[in-house]
Amino acid sequence: MSVNIIVAHGLEAKTLARALNLRANQSSSEFQEYTNANNLRLLVSGIGKEAVTAAVNYLGEQQDSDSGEKRAWLNIGIAGHRDAPLGSAWLGNKITEQSSGASAYPPQLIDGIQLGAVVTVDEPENLYPLDAVYEMEASAFYTAASKYSTAELVQVFKIISDNLENPISEIDFKKVPDLILGQTAQIVSLLEKLSALVEQHNLAQRMPSEYHEICENFRLTVNQKLQIRRLCQRYKALSEEEALHDLLDSRMDDAGKLILRLSEYIDRKGEA
Amino acid sequence: MFSSIYIEEEVLESERVKALLDKYPDVPQVVCERYGEVFNRKSQNFRLQKVAPALILSKKYGNKVLSTPSGYGYNDSNSYYFSHMLNCVYDCRYCFLQGMYSSANYVLFVNYEDFEKAIVEKIEDNQGGGVYYSGYDCDSLALEPVSNFCQYFLPVFRRYPDAELEIRTKSTQIRCLLDTELVPNCVIAMSFTTNEAAEKWEHKVPSIEKRLDALCKLQRAGWKVAIRFEPLILGVEGLAPYEALFAQVFSKLNIEMIHSVSTGLFRMPVDFHKRIVKLYPDEELYARTTESKDGMLALKNPQESSSLSAIEKLLLSYVSAEQYYRCA
Repeated sequence: MSVNIIVAHGLEAKTLARALNLRANQSSSEFQEYTNANNLRLLVSGIGKEAVTAAVNYLGEQQDSDSGEKRAWLNIGIAGHRDAPLGSAWLGNKITEQSSGASAYPPQLIDGIQLGAVVTVDEPENLYPLDAVYEMEASAFYTAASKYSTAELVQVFKIISDNLENPISEIDFKKVPDLILGQTAQIVSLLEKLSALVEQHNLAQRMPSEYHEICENFRLTVNQKLQIRRLCQRYKALSEEEALHDLLDSRMDDAGKLILRLSEYIDRKGEA
Repeated sequence: MFSSIYIEEEVLESERVKALLDKYPDVPQVVCERYGEVFNRKSQNFRLQKVAPALILSKKYGNKVLSTPSGYGYNDSNSYYFSHMLNCVYDCRYCFLQGMYSSANYVLFVNYEDFEKAIVEKIEDNQGGGVYYSGYDCDSLALEPVSNFCQYFLPVFRRYPDAELEIRTKSTQIRCLLDTELVPNCVIAMSFTTNEAAEKWEHKVPSIEKRLDALCKLQRAGWKVAIRFEPLILGVEGLAPYEALFAQVFSKLNIEMIHSVSTGLFRMPVDFHKRIVKLYPDEELYARTTESKDGMLALKNPQESSSLSAIEKLLLSYVSAEQYYRCA
């Protein structure tokens, strides 16, 4: 499950860790982190836009590779709305940063989950003027995570913890875990659907093993690596992986010559 | 049908928009300032968005009727294209739209009155004539139940009998045409590739048989129909797939009544090809050897000229030279 979850509060993290069978990762120094054998990672960012940006960048840079494969990013957190019932939840389809007025629109490929607008504020909002969820991280999360993935795989899921009848100043934090646990089924479904989209994307980008072999055995410039990458993709797409394997069998230590040899063969095969 | 509907603030109060939204009360609606906030953003992925495209209702600014590239079209008249919509409901792997936009969402420009004004101005600049193509950036008929494109634009062209409208399509949504009074200066141009190519690369497209049935109905009702064998993607299969396709197409239609028949080789701008390769690194078509000239990319095929001649010779055994043209 190639999904990164970012939450602001330790309380949210502990509850989700319980619901999703995640374990605390002790080796992470900068941020409290949870993970499981299924490649799901959860990071606690702290509250606010700067904190969430730092957390996303920390994880994104750790995971950054030139493989073309992506991970999904999901921001889960509690939020307020003027009249939505406590414990209800929305997937954000419009995220507006209140301070700048700028809006972003996460593309919605996932069905079956209630959608709504999210407003990211710098200070807690008590009046909830718009028909939107109010919280403090989503806009920065979306901007930061979109640098490491494609926008379709960056989503924001907010669970209502306060409204006009239950103001933010009176939130009973002991009840927050129950609000989150009440959404476990939706969160699991969301993770599965995001994961399926990631897999669909990554499957197409996955390189044949010969590519990794070449990268290990040759000193390649950035440009040569890109050329080898595209050549390997072409061999795979033209069902010439066996030929690719055979061409690598011969002794060769010059990357330039290898590229030439691989190109000549596949260009010949690729002519209509 | 749509994962969401985005509506530009400026068109929220348009009657056309209100009527359209009434048809889809269960589809989530999101108001945006300009369609560019949602459509064609840098970090979007066309291939993923094709899983569940959204509809964006917008107002078109700037030039609405543009001159066609040279070599496009079937006669020497001044020719133009206009796009009331961006993107297509079908998912043809060879389509240049995949490389043109990073978003697969459909943008529908709802200010038809402004398009009409621009078209009429252009017609009058051409002394009542000119050829006007619709379906360059979209399939004009495929979303007819949503757009009511024909309902609005056919009467415009009915008023100018010397101006010709070509509606390029792969759709079988012809009810709007059959239910309306014939427009003699409107041509319905249906695109076909070989059965093998259609099966491999034309996803969500009505079968060749169904497209032919639609054309037959239109012909019987008196509409001018045209055939576009585009794009030709020449392979090792030789002439056989074309023999089968031409036999299938021309056995169904009244050949003498066909307005025009064209062929056009698979071509696209180099930049579009680069973007599509990133989206579909696993696609056989884009792994083929290519060659580029003047910013346009084509499949490398030493036999291209002789293959094309053979296809044309075969085609001209069915249709007259006057009916045929090769699209540049």
